[in-house]
Amino acid sequence: MKTSIARVARHTGRRITQPSATTIRHQTTSSSPLPPPHQTTTSPLPPPPAQPSSSSTLPPPPSAAQPSLPLPSGPSSPSVNPSEISHFNALASTWWDPHGSSRALHLMNPHRHDFIRSCLSSTSTPPPSTLRYLDVGCGGGIFAESAARLPTASSVTAIDPSSTILSIAKAHAARDPSLIGTGKLEYRNATIESLDKSEEGKFDVVTCFEVVEHVDDPAAFLDHCGRFVKPGGWLVLSTIARTWMSWFTTNLVAEDILGIVPKGTHDWRKYINEEEMRKHFSKRREWDSPRVMGVVYVPGVGWKEVPGSEKVGNYFFAVRKKPE
Amino acid sequence: MESLIIRRRATQWLCSRNSCRIKQRMLRAYSNATSKPDIYDVVCVGGGPAGLSLLTALRSSAATSNLRVALVEAQDLSKTKSFNLPPTQYSNRCSSLTASSCQFLHEIGAWDHLQQDRMTRYQDMRVWDGVSGASIEFEYERTHGVQNAGGQGMACMVENLNLTSGLLKRLEELGGVSTFDKSKVESISFGEETEDGADLREWPVVHLAGGKQLHARLLVGADGANSPVRSFAGINASGWDYNRHGVVATLQLEQTGYDTFTPGDPYEAPKVAYQRFLPTGPVAMLPMPGNYSTLVWSTTPQNAALLKSLSPKDFIAMVNAAFRLSTVDLGYLHTQTSNQAEEISWRLQHTPVDAHAVPAPVIGVQENSVASFPLKFRHADTYIAERVALVGDAAHTVHPLAGQGLNMGQGDVQSLAKTIQFAVEHGLDIGATMSLEAYNAERYAANHVLMGVCDKLHKLYSVGSGPLVPLRSLGLNLVNSLSPLKGFLMERAAGNGKVF
Repeated sequence: MKTSIARVARHTGRRITQPSATTIRHQTTSSSPLPPPHQTTTSPLPPPPAQPSSSSTLPPPPSAAQPSLPLPSGPSSPSVNPSEISHFNALASTWWDPHGSSRALHLMNPHRHDFIRSCLSSTSTPPPSTLRYLDVGCGGGIFAESAARLPTASSVTAIDPSSTILSIAKAHAARDPSLIGTGKLEYRNATIESLDKSEEGKFDVVTCFEVVEHVDDPAAFLDHCGRFVKPGGWLVLSTIARTWMSWFTTNLVAEDILGIVPKGTHDWRKYINEEEMRKHFSKRREWDSPRVMGVVYVPGVGWKEVPGSEKVGNYFFAVRKKPE
Repeated sequence: MESLIIRRRATQWLCSRNSCRIKQRMLRAYSNATSKPDIYDVVCVGGGPAGLSLLTALRSSAATSNLRVALVEAQDLSKTKSFNLPPTQYSNRCSSLTASSCQFLHEIGAWDHLQQDRMTRYQDMRVWDGVSGASIEFEYERTHGVQNAGGQGMACMVENLNLTSGLLKRLEELGGVSTFDKSKVESISFGEETEDGADLREWPVVHLAGGKQLHARLLVGADGANSPVRSFAGINASGWDYNRHGVVATLQLEQTGYDTFTPGDPYEAPKVAYQRFLPTGPVAMLPMPGNYSTLVWSTTPQNAALLKSLSPKDFIAMVNAAFRLSTVDLGYLHTQTSNQAEEISWRLQHTPVDAHAVPAPVIGVQENSVASFPLKFRHADTYIAERVALVGDAAHTVHPLAGQGLNMGQGDVQSLAKTIQFAVEHGLDIGATMSLEAYNAERYAANHVLMGVCDKLHKLYSVGSGPLVPLRSLGLNLVNSLSPLKGFLMERAAGNGKVF
């Protein structure tokens, strides 16, 4: 369980946004008055050992802790963090190996669909018969491919800042003739900020799986993603709660003790708790119907939905944009 | 005793993954570059009970009914479908369907297409040791809880042809299967990159005689013990030959009033299945409708050859002797080339037999129904590979003593269909190993345990003398007196191979 959680975070997260620090500070302090992580009172676990910043926002952008690596590929956007790109480029070749480092992600994928399905079926009005998906930080395309195969998907737009990973994603999609030539699945080498504004409000489902825990300013990032959701549509994400357990599994065990995750891959302080996520969206008038599903990795079995586990580790979260 | 109706020759040009690449290059020169590949979601090679059940399951479920599926079979399936015999004749290839298999056939809508008057349920199973006489009786309680689609009962005897014919009728009703029967698989290779950018280099391509090529997202090997699909996937099947043959025949029993025909309602007769363990192998008499029965006698190849050479009169006498005389008498009788009937008649007068503990005397054997086949134990190392899944005999061949072969295949199919449905509902590629893992995990261990039990039983009872005999007799008597254990064994006989 420990290492897998670490893997999940490590392999899906991409630093998508990093607008200028002043803007972020301004935005987050004014519009996202989230409780500071260490003030979390609803968690059944004791406060985590390392205390993040005491500002009353989602975890702020990190300092210059990340080494500034040369950007091997990807769009020339100031919002892309070179170290994350380089990190995930190195993993590209094993992305689709069922026994490779992304195995836990493959195993998690069916739960993503189940969660989205539960969101869509929770409304009083039936969802549209066909759906447009936007997958932010698509990586090798594990979710994007599977979404594009669904008969209910009219199109899937999948974006990622790494062109190396996208080339893996495209090459893999070409192995399935049902995914090419139909135009249903489109990969774009883009960040959420570089997407065309004309597409805002056009997607029924916007997803960012295992991404926000790697984003410097999650509040701004989520606001950006949210703009692309159609009224009545859903913003769906998955991430890890910031608890003793996740610190133990993803930082201490995976990085410091076992060393299976390179040191510095995870900034535990950037993990976001479910209550914080909920509060973030409750402050924004256009969102309602928050939904959550906690999942636990059972070695040898896979991911299991465990009610309440969203307070401890990996969880799914979704909010609906109010219909017009 | 499974899927022996259809035997197909191993294909001539099977390629391993390496040799295929070479062959591919050679083929490329001849392939028509402009023709679009014919792409199927599922190509099932083999139209036996397992393959037909799989396709029926996929076609009858809403989630998988949009899949493009093809069936490849060497035999003429129209002949199989029109299977029809008078009620006085039965095919010699029969199977005992467990309650779970019956339930599954019901769920996929095939059950009602079987000729009901050609099947019979049985409630009781009587198994005994030919050397020591220790016995175990499985009286199936009507309140036991395991039900089958035709009502309650431990198991249901059906001719394999009745089953395949019923499945084909159900498939015809469902429609949507591209059927290539009377089609030999010439070779299986890998695809190529197409003009529109599709990379099919890891997709199996089934080449049929006549030049037809089928690209398979998932290639299912339901193609029997010598599975060409298994060879293509490079999956090894390990095991051994038992040096035993199974002799089958359709028999007519004397009407004793017990365990025979109830006019107008063959299902209500208290049918019993009999099995006696002899040192050469078990001999089983399984009930068919009316006073008909089907024989499965596992014995040495020499004995099998002798039995097949006998006149009907002597053959009948030998079958009666097999359930009644001592193993010493039987050993002697197998050394005689003819006139067993007289010899047996004399010996039976001096052997006390409880008429209710053995099947009714055989009075007739159906013409041309005596046949034999070699018994093997084979288990594939895995049931899945990238874009390949094995079901039924292609995955495992088991000793017929527990009547589990065909049922294990139905259990495979049920599990694979469920796995495919899950993949479709979650947008997974149904051919990816990752999507197929659940099937392998669910079936492999379960089948392995069952196969091991069947194998060990065979070996245990192959011993004619020595300390093992009283020990196993003690075991059998002990099992007989312990109802929970008996319940477990009966659940196995009634189940679909699930262990836990």
